[in-house]
Amino acid sequence: MKTEATLKRVIYVLGAAALLFGLWGFYLRFFVGERMVNYGSYVVWGLWVAMYLFYGGISTGSMMIASLDYLFGIRLFKGIGKTALWAAVVTMPAALVTIGMDLGHMERVWKVFLQPNLLSVMAQLVWGYSIFMVVLLAALWLIIRLERGKQDARPWLRFVMAVGLFLSIFLSGGVGALLGVNASREAWHTAMLPAQFPVFSLLSGCALMLVLLGWFAPADEKRNSQLRALSIGLLILLLIKTYYLWVDYSQALYAGTPVATEAVEQVLFGRWGWAFWLLQLGLGMVFPIAFLLYKRFQQNPLWSGVVGVAVLVGIAVARANIIFPMLSIPELEGLATAFTGPHLTFDYYPSLMEWSVTLGVTGGAALAWLLGMDYLPFLKTQSKEVAQ
Amino acid sequence: MADDQQATRISRRNFIKIMGVAGAALASRRLLNGRPVRADRPAAATAELPPPPAKTEADVLLRMQEELARALKKPPAERRWVMVIDLRKCVGCHACTIACVAENKLPPSVVYRPVIEKEIGTYPNVSRLFVPRPCMQCEKPPCTPVCPVNATYTNEEGVVVVDYEQCIGCRACITACPYGARTSDFGYTYTEDTPVADGLIVGREKADDYERASNFEYGKGYDRPRSHGSPIGNARKCHFCLHRLHEGLLPACVTTCIGRATLFGDANDPDSLVAEMISKPNVMVLKEELGTKPRVYYLV
Repeated sequence: MKTEATLKRVIYVLGAAALLFGLWGFYLRFFVGERMVNYGSYVVWGLWVAMYLFYGGISTGSMMIASLDYLFGIRLFKGIGKTALWAAVVTMPAALVTIGMDLGHMERVWKVFLQPNLLSVMAQLVWGYSIFMVVLLAALWLIIRLERGKQDARPWLRFVMAVGLFLSIFLSGGVGALLGVNASREAWHTAMLPAQFPVFSLLSGCALMLVLLGWFAPADEKRNSQLRALSIGLLILLLIKTYYLWVDYSQALYAGTPVATEAVEQVLFGRWGWAFWLLQLGLGMVFPIAFLLYKRFQQNPLWSGVVGVAVLVGIAVARANIIFPMLSIPELEGLATAFTGPHLTFDYYPSLMEWSVTLGVTGGAALAWLLGMDYLPFLKTQSKEVAQ
Repeated sequence: MADDQQATRISRRNFIKIMGVAGAALASRRLLNGRPVRADRPAAATAELPPPPAKTEADVLLRMQEELARALKKPPAERRWVMVIDLRKCVGCHACTIACVAENKLPPSVVYRPVIEKEIGTYPNVSRLFVPRPCMQCEKPPCTPVCPVNATYTNEEGVVVVDYEQCIGCRACITACPYGARTSDFGYTYTEDTPVADGLIVGREKADDYERASNFEYGKGYDRPRSHGSPIGNARKCHFCLHRLHEGLLPACVTTCIGRATLFGDANDPDSLVAEMISKPNVMVLKEELGTKPRVYYLV
């Protein structure tokens, strides 16, 4: 209990500090514009797009976890549905705000609703996210009704959760398709991306739940069982992710043609190589796999949370490694030096403003989750429910 | 010997006489009609020179100009604008790039037609190749279907255009373009943030006014805003200078090309220069394997 309170205080302080730092970035974005970003016309999408994939993955993954409780009714996961749903509710806006910052004309987003090109994957995603947000809020509302004894809400909740689960798979895969439809980008143009991304989302949701349960749920036998189940699930998903990584990279390198190997070599040995080896592979995959193989660690709440954070950091870096390195390869040889100017470079490192907005959004999402769990009445019952 | 000396004397005397008469005649002629005096060319040398051409071949620009006027009389849907770039004639002067920047008032960070320079071989066997790269105006463009709001599309003349008021600035089209032919406008100007001390930069204010003035892309007057507003925040690209074409003018890059390496016209006109050029066996397009069917051809 003491550890939980301490961790909560630490996250409140860090979240508030990150949000404050982020406000500076938001100010610059709104009043100076996109001149202070480092992405451009060649590395078209940067940190914000990577983080949009990351938060979007957490949100849809959390929905998948919540469905274990409210849709499939698995007794072991009873009580974690609300925590997961609330996590999905706070991380989806984080994803949308981050991608909104990336738009040159964010004031025209309404056009995607009123004048859409529904054959565009991006338009489909925008519509999907909007419906997803409605579904999340509807699910929360139905849960409140259910807790007030309105049993007629139960079938509706199952229906809404079924729609939510479908959407979470569609949206995760859709993000993969958003990249995959670019036929001229060799490393993206594979049907594997839309197939892999739902798995990555589930992995993200699972890792976040380890953090939330391990650090903030009341200590009892049920929590330990849930932690163990989630740890085993996380381990399996990490092994699947390792396999995906292996087949992706080994196949590209084996082919040996520059167009296939360039992107992989950028990831492994390029400017961001250290992030791949240390954070994505070391911290995000090897450490958690090694750790979770030991049963006694699988029920340790504190270390479960640490493992969850490590996996989330690894996933965030993996998202970035899908975006930056591929875009760092010139479409035509010699393009980099043909005409020079601001934002006409294939060398990308996020600017301070980009980091600021990213940290601000992360801090905001963390604070929103904690504040909700601490002060929203229907979420405060969580403790009792888990104890039961 | 005495005869020889006599002959020489006579000869010298005769020579002086002839020169005197001739000089007087020339001087009088000049005085009479004022024409310049010109020495006669040796007959043998004149005979070795090739005869002057009977008729000088017209500049291809004039031909393309006539063809353009002819094409504009047809309904737009019957035109097929095509650009042909003869890489053997390109000298890498970048005049087309600069003409494009000036015509469309492109700010820093935006370029429609860079010239890619390639160095081939290693020292001492090195050669250089220049590849101007406008928008390929693909018949099957990968950049248009990804747009979430139909802001970029192929117009009835087959040119891929951007509706600046519709574009939300997501840059999905830039990602999708296999040729890197689109750039995003981040809101810079060339004169902004330059030193403002009096006399340090002559004409700075006028230059700034010039940068803010309308660029007339797509036949509309897009003033460059000082803060936010199109075309700032938009994806931008080469549009074959549609605004010039509709006024009967060739694209700026075509008229500026000093080597006449860039040709332009209606490929649906069988008598046009471009139709003639794209039927040659040494024609190629960039990344043909993608099947995007570019309307920009290269002669190699």
